[in-house]
Amino acid sequence: MMIETEYLAPRNIDQLFEGIRGRIGQVKFMAGCTNVLPSLRARAISPGLLVDLTGLEEMAHIRKVNRVISVGALTTMTALVSSEIIQKESPILASAARQLGNPLTRNRATIGGNLADASPAADMAPPLLALEATIHTAGPEGKGREIPLDRFFLGPNKTVLGEDEIITRITIPKPEDPWKGSHIKFGLRNAMAISVASVALMLEMKENVCRKARVALGSLSPTPIRAYLVEKELEDREITDEVLERCTVAVNQEISPISDIRGSADYRRQVAAVLLKRAIRQAHMGRK
Amino acid sequence: MKTYELGIKLNGQAVSAQVHAHETLLDVLRKKLGAKEVKNGCGKGDCGACTVMLDGTAVNACLTLALQANGREVTTVRGVGTEDQPHPIQESFVRHGAIQCGYCTPGMVVSAKALLDRIPNPDRGQIREGISGNLCRCTGYNKIIEAIENAASKAQS
Amino acid sequence: MSENPKNKTEGPDYQYIGKPMPRHDAWDKVFGRTKYADDFDMPGMLYGKVLRSAYPAAKILSIDTSEAEKMPGVEAVLTAKDVPNNETVTRFGQTHQVGGFEGLYRVLADKKVRYMGDAIALVAAETEEIAEEAVGLIKVGYEPLPGVFDPLEAIKPGAYQVGEAESNVICSYQVRKGDVEEGFARSDVIIENTYRVPFVEHAFMEPESGMAWVDDAGVITIRVSTQVIEHFRDVAEVLGVPHNKVRVIAPMVGGGFGSKEDISVESFIALLAWKTGKPVKMTWTREESIRSSSKRHPYVMRYKTGATKDGKLMAMEAELISDAGGHIYLSPWVLLYSTVDATGPYDISHVKVDASTVLTNNTFCSANRGFGSPQVCYAYECQMDELAKKLNLSPLEIRKKNYLHKGDALATGRVLDYAVETEQTAEKALAALGEPSKPSSSTEKIGRGLASGFMSYGRMTFLHDTSRSFVSVELDGSVTVKCGLQDIGGGQASSVASIAAEVLGVHMEEVKVFIGDTALTPIAGTTTATRMLYMSGNATVKAAEAVKNNLLPKAAEMLEADPKDLVFRDKKVFVKGAPTHGIPFDQVVKACAADGIQLYNVAQFNAPFRELMDFKTGQGQVFPDFTFGSHAAEVSVDTETGKVKVLKLVACYDVGQAINSLSAEGQLEGGALYGLGYGLIEEVILDKGITLTPSFSEYLIPTALDAPHVRTIMVESRDGAGPFGAKGIGEPSCNSIAPAVANAVTDAIGRRILDIPITPEKILRALGKL
Repeated sequence: MMIETEYLAPRNIDQLFEGIRGRIGQVKFMAGCTNVLPSLRARAISPGLLVDLTGLEEMAHIRKVNRVISVGALTTMTALVSSEIIQKESPILASAARQLGNPLTRNRATIGGNLADASPAADMAPPLLALEATIHTAGPEGKGREIPLDRFFLGPNKTVLGEDEIITRITIPKPEDPWKGSHIKFGLRNAMAISVASVALMLEMKENVCRKARVALGSLSPTPIRAYLVEKELEDREITDEVLERCTVAVNQEISPISDIRGSADYRRQVAAVLLKRAIRQAHMGRK
Repeated sequence: MKTYELGIKLNGQAVSAQVHAHETLLDVLRKKLGAKEVKNGCGKGDCGACTVMLDGTAVNACLTLALQANGREVTTVRGVGTEDQPHPIQESFVRHGAIQCGYCTPGMVVSAKALLDRIPNPDRGQIREGISGNLCRCTGYNKIIEAIENAASKAQS
Repeated sequence: MSENPKNKTEGPDYQYIGKPMPRHDAWDKVFGRTKYADDFDMPGMLYGKVLRSAYPAAKILSIDTSEAEKMPGVEAVLTAKDVPNNETVTRFGQTHQVGGFEGLYRVLADKKVRYMGDAIALVAAETEEIAEEAVGLIKVGYEPLPGVFDPLEAIKPGAYQVGEAESNVICSYQVRKGDVEEGFARSDVIIENTYRVPFVEHAFMEPESGMAWVDDAGVITIRVSTQVIEHFRDVAEVLGVPHNKVRVIAPMVGGGFGSKEDISVESFIALLAWKTGKPVKMTWTREESIRSSSKRHPYVMRYKTGATKDGKLMAMEAELISDAGGHIYLSPWVLLYSTVDATGPYDISHVKVDASTVLTNNTFCSANRGFGSPQVCYAYECQMDELAKKLNLSPLEIRKKNYLHKGDALATGRVLDYAVETEQTAEKALAALGEPSKPSSSTEKIGRGLASGFMSYGRMTFLHDTSRSFVSVELDGSVTVKCGLQDIGGGQASSVASIAAEVLGVHMEEVKVFIGDTALTPIAGTTTATRMLYMSGNATVKAAEAVKNNLLPKAAEMLEADPKDLVFRDKKVFVKGAPTHGIPFDQVVKACAADGIQLYNVAQFNAPFRELMDFKTGQGQVFPDFTFGSHAAEVSVDTETGKVKVLKLVACYDVGQAINSLSAEGQLEGGALYGLGYGLIEEVILDKGITLTPSFSEYLIPTALDAPHVRTIMVESRDGAGPFGAKGIGEPSCNSIAPAVANAVTDAIGRRILDIPITPEKILRALGKL
């Protein structure tokens, strides 16, 4: 079928849901377009109505209110990288944003879009999972909900979002020590690389003992995941070589990597273990 | 099929076109607004040949819906500099041999301009990062990096 | 920047030659004024699209175009039956067709498809979208066939028949020198390895594109992004019209690297324009280009090399099998290059080479920068390092014991009668690596590697290559060059401008070059085989010299001097030693014009014409000359992830005489990255004929963040067959990088990986970590 599409650019949430009323199923939400346009061009999707979210200015913000950081869904990678709040309070998020795509796509790609697209390799997911992010949504008739990110992904390119539901913002509790975190993305190229494996984690240390660990992995399973077994290995332990080895065993029980053109499952397992150890050591060292 | 009125400022000049909802800025620039200097290398943001500025921010025109540019300023390489008023980046590219087949050049020059707007005196690592979304198959990037470095230092002095 | 040590004597004092010059076309490109094939529009133009095969191997049982034809906006739907001569046979050569091989050129697939890019039908419609839609409405009935996807299987008797002939083997060559058994008997060490190199993509930035129309005089005119405007003859054969009724124009080309050497869109758009009577434009998508256009031949190369304990090479036995994919195209010639280059730039007493190229149902393979040379260079340079290791010699030492020098002969009997400076390039390249870098962690290993390479420039001499150039001076002293060359980014047009400027002593800005039009510019031959500078450069020298000689008598008369004493320089003519007492160039021209003296010349340059080589012994001259050089690399390997970082890369090649030193450096730098990608990251992955890497998201080429700084050192022997003693550099520049990096990785990790690309995963496997 030839593409027969209409365009809607709502100014506010009410206009949005008014505009899509009765057309659920034909709608494709778009903001930075970095995923949607290639799909459209490839005829993988043929929506009847393109809804441009970029007019919803409220959704482009980065705020810190008390102990909560709020990032609007329309915040671009470039905005994240250059935000003082993000650099200071969640440097692992800045790290992931800086390595997504290339400078041109970073100027357009949004945090909401990256999560809603839900690629198993979604760059923003691992740091947000490690930061225990919550997704805030809006639906018709003022409906909206809060979804912990580790309940958000269902499978490759599948989330719990309803067809008439959009992400409005993501909140992160401000970490105790933002610098006891690390993020490593491993790709076959230094720019414009879909990651082969990525790790993001946050540690809460009390002297030499790890009180709490939040470990997240990307590109190693059908969705980005929290590595609960690894977290258990770290909790209430000192970071010793032995503990690190146990973590690498645990991580292999958590992930189910595929073999594809970028690497075999075996290779991904190997890299996952290496990145995990490096990330834990880095986070442990924190910032001088 | 439904069309919409698109009005933009293209390199400083107000222009308009009738566009479809799904048309990209690249489609419209090349096919409806005569801006052939914006090149199509891959159509999906993998190569940077279509780099333009949207309100001063460098983007892939192929990844921008045309209607998202409505009411905004689009700058192509011809908005960076022309025969009458060449930009130092352009002069530097020519002097340093940073152009071979020239197909990546329009996009590369726009990215370079965007970089120097952000970081007036970048080091080589920052230059490499700044153009990391623009593929070049001919030059190996060496002379492009030299050219940008040189243009930056000239602007400083 | 590059260093430019003069090899022999101080170079002549040229005005332009050898200097770093901005190219004459650079300004237009940097202002976005240059028009490439897709940038042209014509009123009433239609858009063409191709229906391609859904299977890599299948019978075509039926084609139903009725739905597509009915679609509003569709003006033509063509299949094989609509093509006047759907099958033509090329005996290779462009101007001189040589016996030995016949390549079947079939425009549209008829009863059988041979790879997934095979074109089955063509559509012309009012918009691209309608054309695409219509393509989707064409119903093809296929009977899928098993196909064959491994050349080692395809070569066996009884294998699935890819084409119409019994055997899938397209052709075979042999080189025999001495007796390898005797050589191995006299060797103290023997190294035997099988190396594999993959399909790779040219990845030019400008996708294939062209427009065809029938002009007001009935000439079928094609403007196309191409390296070969002489395909006008092939298109004429396809249409069944005289050759002079087809015209091909090449605008500036956004990269070719060999892929645009074969016909891409020409026949398709010519047919559609001819059928509809309207201009038809066709531009391939990137995915269509990667899936359907030619690839570099993968090779399986079994090498057995023997040397004495002193490191002297005694014997080399090589078995080369290349995967030609679904169609023949230039496979026989690529194989020939590999065969001639298989020994490397070394003197080996006993040589046995057996090479074959085999059809499979993979994407067809044809010219790719290096044309069969990089593949064998990878193998023979890895072998050299393996021998060195076994013999406890350094990589440089063992090579120095065996390098060929000027006056020596290749295993094919070809005496090297121009400069052979490989040894110097290797020493300089290695020295330029400087102090070894230190690893920054315990899991990082640093390694260094050297590799030398050589490759011909100029076409195979039995093709009787020629090139023509027209030079004229206008009454105001400006100069016009008309030359049918194709400029694919290597500065081909700019080179002839600077040559004309040099000979006539005018300024570069005053030379206007018209290129690439079979109707209006003298045929200069293909932009392939690193021949354009050599051929059109020499032709332009000839033409410009002839014009100068026409002007000399009048100039001598005006200056009351001996013509032998006159210098043309800086827009003046003057007696040697007295530049301030000259007369303006344009005054000489005007005076000559008044006397009816001819102010133009069209010259033809002939490369040496030789006989076809003997394919059973591999003996023959084959090429006019070769370019020799070396690369040195330093890498750091992360032994836990396998990631390789190239810390230093040095390219040192003998370019003979750089015409434009910026351009020559640019070729070395670009070639280095082209070869680096080949060695570390690039692979077109095919699974039973299906391309798994169809876009630049999957097929990765280096970005600016992946490219190392390349240091270039140009040696200028001034002893090449090209103008002013130049040698060709476009292709040789990408020869020896992959093995240099491979040797560096091997040095770092102590293990050798035999297949490229050397991915991080392969490194971990080699280290036993997977």
